[in-house]
Amino acid sequence: MLSTLKYIAVVLWSAFVVAPLLWALTTSFKTANGVTGGPTYLPYIGFEPSLDGWRSLFGGAGGIDIVRPYMDSLIVTSSASLISIVLGTLAAYGLSRFEYRAGFVKNTDIIFFFISQRIMPPIVLAIPFFLMLQFLGLLDTKIGLILVYVALLLPIAVWIMVDFFDGVPRQIDEMAMLDGCTPFEAFWRIVLPNSMPGILVASMFCVIFGWNDFFFAFTLTFTDTQLLPVAVVSLNSSVTPWWSLSASALVSVAPLILIAIFVERLLSRGTLAGAIR
Amino acid sequence: MGQTGLRFYKFSFLLPGFLVLLAIILFPLLFTIRVSLSGWDAIAPGLNWAGLTNYAHVFSDGRFWEAMLRLSAMAVGTVLVQYVLGFALALLVWRDILFRRIFRVLFLIPMMTTPVIMSVIWRTIFHESLGPANDVLGLIGLGPYPWLTSANFAMAAVMLVEIWQWTPFMFLLLLAGLLSLPREPFLAAAIDGAGPVRTFFNVTFPLLVPVSIGAVVIRLIEASKIMETVYVLTSGGPGTATETAGYYIYIKGLRDFEIGYAASLSITYLVIMIVLLTIIAKLLVRIFIGRSA
Amino acid sequence: MSLILDTLHLSHNGEAHLDGLSASFARGSLTTVLGRTLAGKTTLMRAIAGLQRIDSGTMERDGQAFGTLPAWQRDVAMVYQQFINYPHLNVFDNIAFPLRKRRLPEVDVRQRVESVLSMVGLSNFAGRKPSALSGGQQQRVALARALVRKADILLLDEPLVNLDYKLREQLREEFRGLLTSQSDGTVIYNTTEPAEAMMLGDRIIVMHQGRILQTGTPAEVFERPANTLVAGIVNDPPMTILSGRLDHGRIVFDGGVELAASAHLKNLPHGLYRFGIRATEIEPSEGRGIPGRVTFSEVSGSETFVHVETPFGEAVMQLEGVHQVTDGSQIGLSLAPERLFAFAADGEGALLRAPGQGEN
Repeated sequence: MLSTLKYIAVVLWSAFVVAPLLWALTTSFKTANGVTGGPTYLPYIGFEPSLDGWRSLFGGAGGIDIVRPYMDSLIVTSSASLISIVLGTLAAYGLSRFEYRAGFVKNTDIIFFFISQRIMPPIVLAIPFFLMLQFLGLLDTKIGLILVYVALLLPIAVWIMVDFFDGVPRQIDEMAMLDGCTPFEAFWRIVLPNSMPGILVASMFCVIFGWNDFFFAFTLTFTDTQLLPVAVVSLNSSVTPWWSLSASALVSVAPLILIAIFVERLLSRGTLAGAIR
Repeated sequence: MGQTGLRFYKFSFLLPGFLVLLAIILFPLLFTIRVSLSGWDAIAPGLNWAGLTNYAHVFSDGRFWEAMLRLSAMAVGTVLVQYVLGFALALLVWRDILFRRIFRVLFLIPMMTTPVIMSVIWRTIFHESLGPANDVLGLIGLGPYPWLTSANFAMAAVMLVEIWQWTPFMFLLLLAGLLSLPREPFLAAAIDGAGPVRTFFNVTFPLLVPVSIGAVVIRLIEASKIMETVYVLTSGGPGTATETAGYYIYIKGLRDFEIGYAASLSITYLVIMIVLLTIIAKLLVRIFIGRSA
Repeated sequence: MSLILDTLHLSHNGEAHLDGLSASFARGSLTTVLGRTLAGKTTLMRAIAGLQRIDSGTMERDGQAFGTLPAWQRDVAMVYQQFINYPHLNVFDNIAFPLRKRRLPEVDVRQRVESVLSMVGLSNFAGRKPSALSGGQQQRVALARALVRKADILLLDEPLVNLDYKLREQLREEFRGLLTSQSDGTVIYNTTEPAEAMMLGDRIIVMHQGRILQTGTPAEVFERPANTLVAGIVNDPPMTILSGRLDHGRIVFDGGVELAASAHLKNLPHGLYRFGIRATEIEPSEGRGIPGRVTFSEVSGSETFVHVETPFGEAVMQLEGVHQVTDGSQIGLSLAPERLFAFAADGEGALLRAPGQGEN
């Protein structure tokens, strides 16, 4: 009895979760007639399917050319994530292993400084970022966006990695130093190979937050550089061609949906429990 | 006395990241503070000196304070619902349920998707005559409702989308917490003959208090920035019915180009958020951890 | 002398871990550092290894100061209490790591690792990850990695403490063989167990609260403990210390218990003393001797330890065989007068006379 209720609850929530995606999927095969005919769900039964929406992704009528924003998003997200992971991992290792002190400032305060950046509303930074990038001549460029995204992602990387390194026994790197490694070699040859799960989790979060940002891409780039969310949202006008909107939305969120499978695997293996506290 | 070598390494680990963040965040922040003391706008761009006039103006700006209030209500409301739902879902697929790994994957999906892009899809769903929201409700004899054109329904729509998007985050942290719990307390409770409800309130929940506080605080921080969903779904409308602080500042600064005033609004916004979030975090810790300790 | 430590001070959070410690260690010698938990033994090793900074003092090796060198230039090997190996490398690569780090030709690496592997009896496990080994085997790998380098200084910080009793006995034997084969290095071995220190070391340093209480051969330390603290540390169970008086050739405890002093104590001046006696040299006696109340007793293997509260101090008696002793029961203790140590009644209780000492 109780377990039946349990299954009903789980199935209901699953339906709620996938509903928007399924709606997008079915809409992506519609034409103008299919859309204006009211809400229909099944091809052939409810509406006559067409591939117009999907064709529009590659320069077809009424859509956007999705290839270029896709590449831009890939480049910006992966570069910013990579830089954040490198800088964040190094800083996190330092904060986990050494004692820093400057006046009343101690390690925990520095860690807090990193993490507290997440509290900053994007709008507070938008205007100065705009002027700063303008000054540097980096407005509407990928490099400018990468710079901004590093500021957004670095705190995430530091936060996850400090916790992770705190769980790696200190004696391992001490042993490496006694074996003749400098602290950097100990980090690189011994600690890092044993920290892959943490790095994986941190990278994942960086990619999610980088890929999904809209506001900075929207305010700091215009024509030369265009990231996916901006490209898709640009279709969001009153005379929206819903079919190409749906197709481009699905293509944009698809890679990260794959991450969900991966996250579940980490979760079931217990890796995440150690990395998130 | 000491290890000269160590000092060098100690700083080469920390400094690159630290300085990069400092440069990217601190200068803009200081700059914003300076701009907030200027009358920079479309007519007179530039860093002139306006003293605290902007702040005086902020004080009497009813639209801003309404937006702050609305944002707080939205943030607290959605985060509470997300927490309860996320916890319930985590408990449901924690153990003994068929296909639990498939359900876990499904439950995680929304947080992976791009919020603005999904908001665009949600906008089609909420379409009054062509969207499925009213269609499905019509099946059980409800509606049709003016989802995006009436004040109350627009608020509900925005909050629904936020809940859809971010309940998975709560679910993820709480499930990770549940999966890392030791087995012994549950065995002890079972031996004592505690039923599921008592086990939950005496064992599960107390053990998850630290994770819960962390998750709620993180979500409150993120929710205090709500603006993209609003931008896409309702553009703050109808009227200003769904306008949040961030969105109002965006309109003032980047649309009306009242840069100086927008800067003072955003500093006010930031300070209030930091104060409120700190108080909430401290209160949560005191209520739930202070008492059991 | 190879390694000389001079007045080392190290404190952490206002607590002194090394308190003006000076010591020297010869090449080719094995020194055990014996002391209770938190005596500062581990801190001493970490200071020598360069893992912890000393506040003041100097460290010298073969006439050269090395206290300022970073850990990675000190040529010190260490084996921890915990079984620390590199989790991502297999046994062979673990042991080869320090050699490869020094860019030894791979042929030499192979040869040296294989020889050490056979020394510690792990030749068949070279391809395994440390996590697939038992605790004893993991600690053997750690020892092998320390041995293979032929490091100048080899530190072992209670390496056997986390192993079960049987394995500890067996490894202790093996370790003695392996460590004494390190002819020209300096080996320092921390332990809390007197038996281990006696068996392994050429020399014992007794440490307490960051200071050295006594240095000497196992026999010296055991037969002539410098004071009551040392006597407590080097005996397991700790030596029983009772306060009494020496009066006209009699040892007098308050309440009318008296013993005739044996020859070695007779010519000490009259006055107050602390008398020490080992647990094995106390016997129960019916109605006579020192009165006491049994607080608890424990059977360990073929021996029974009886803890007794007397008006003159806590006593521990070690009896052969298994005995049933009721907690709280009254008991009399008889001490063999010729086995008594006499310590000063004041201060740390310096040793004044040991059994068999000063009889002529």
